[in-house]
Amino acid sequence: MRFLNISCKKAGFLLSKKEENKLTWLEKIQLKGHISICSFCRRFEQQTGWIILNAKHAHTHSEATLSEETKTRLQNLFTD
Amino acid sequence: MSHPLLQPDKWISNYSDALYAYALVRVNDSALAEDIVQETFLSAWKGKDSFKGDASEKSWLYTICKNKIIDYYRKKGRDIIQPQPIEGKDVSDGFFNEAEHWTTADAPGDWGIDYQQAIESKEFYKILNGCKKKLQQLQQSVFVMKYLEDLDSEEICKALGISSSNYWVLIHRAKLQLRACLEKNWINL
Repeated sequence: MRFLNISCKKAGFLLSKKEENKLTWLEKIQLKGHISICSFCRRFEQQTGWIILNAKHAHTHSEATLSEETKTRLQNLFTD
Repeated sequence: MSHPLLQPDKWISNYSDALYAYALVRVNDSALAEDIVQETFLSAWKGKDSFKGDASEKSWLYTICKNKIIDYYRKKGRDIIQPQPIEGKDVSDGFFNEAEHWTTADAPGDWGIDYQQAIESKEFYKILNGCKKKLQQLQQSVFVMKYLEDLDSEEICKALGISSSNYWVLIHRAKLQLRACLEKNWINL
């Protein structure tokens, strides 16, 4: 049964492949088995998922704005 | 005569700041983000006669902006010289011991948060941005293209001219670095 055991590093790779449904049947079993016994890799999956969820919407929390000068310059591009 | 749903005279006042913020978190450079916004409006202006009204004016402009960002990463991907052989030892191998299990120092800690809930904290987004900037260029490119632009790995490999095995290494290392950086700088504040 040793072929079912995988390392945390390998589990991390497989988690990214899982996002695109690119796991083979053996990798699916290996990953599921590893995640069920490794609390660190479970956290890694949860935390990276959460980071991505927030990163997707980061722009809506941004206070960055263009300067009035730049806006005027852009506006002039359409009126020239 | 352009589509009645388009109001080019209001584009700057209605969308320039939002598009700028959208581009800025994706390219991490204010001058570049400004260029992308300008190119977005110019392309939209040139293409306004082909706007059919299938999408709203807003989402049409965002799609143009998104394509400009992907173009930027595509061009940048060709210019990046990879700093070391991708399979070689690098900083992210330090997260694991010889048996490739988490080291005591780098094992993910308990964050004590609800992982289903997005966060509103401004401090968090500031730190996230700082952590994103610390990623190697190619790691940053694959992270943005995969998770912020929702491209799949094949499209990203093609755009950046990298192999799929390089892609899986890069995306995994990007996640390792980001997670560790946030744990260090945000959770353990």
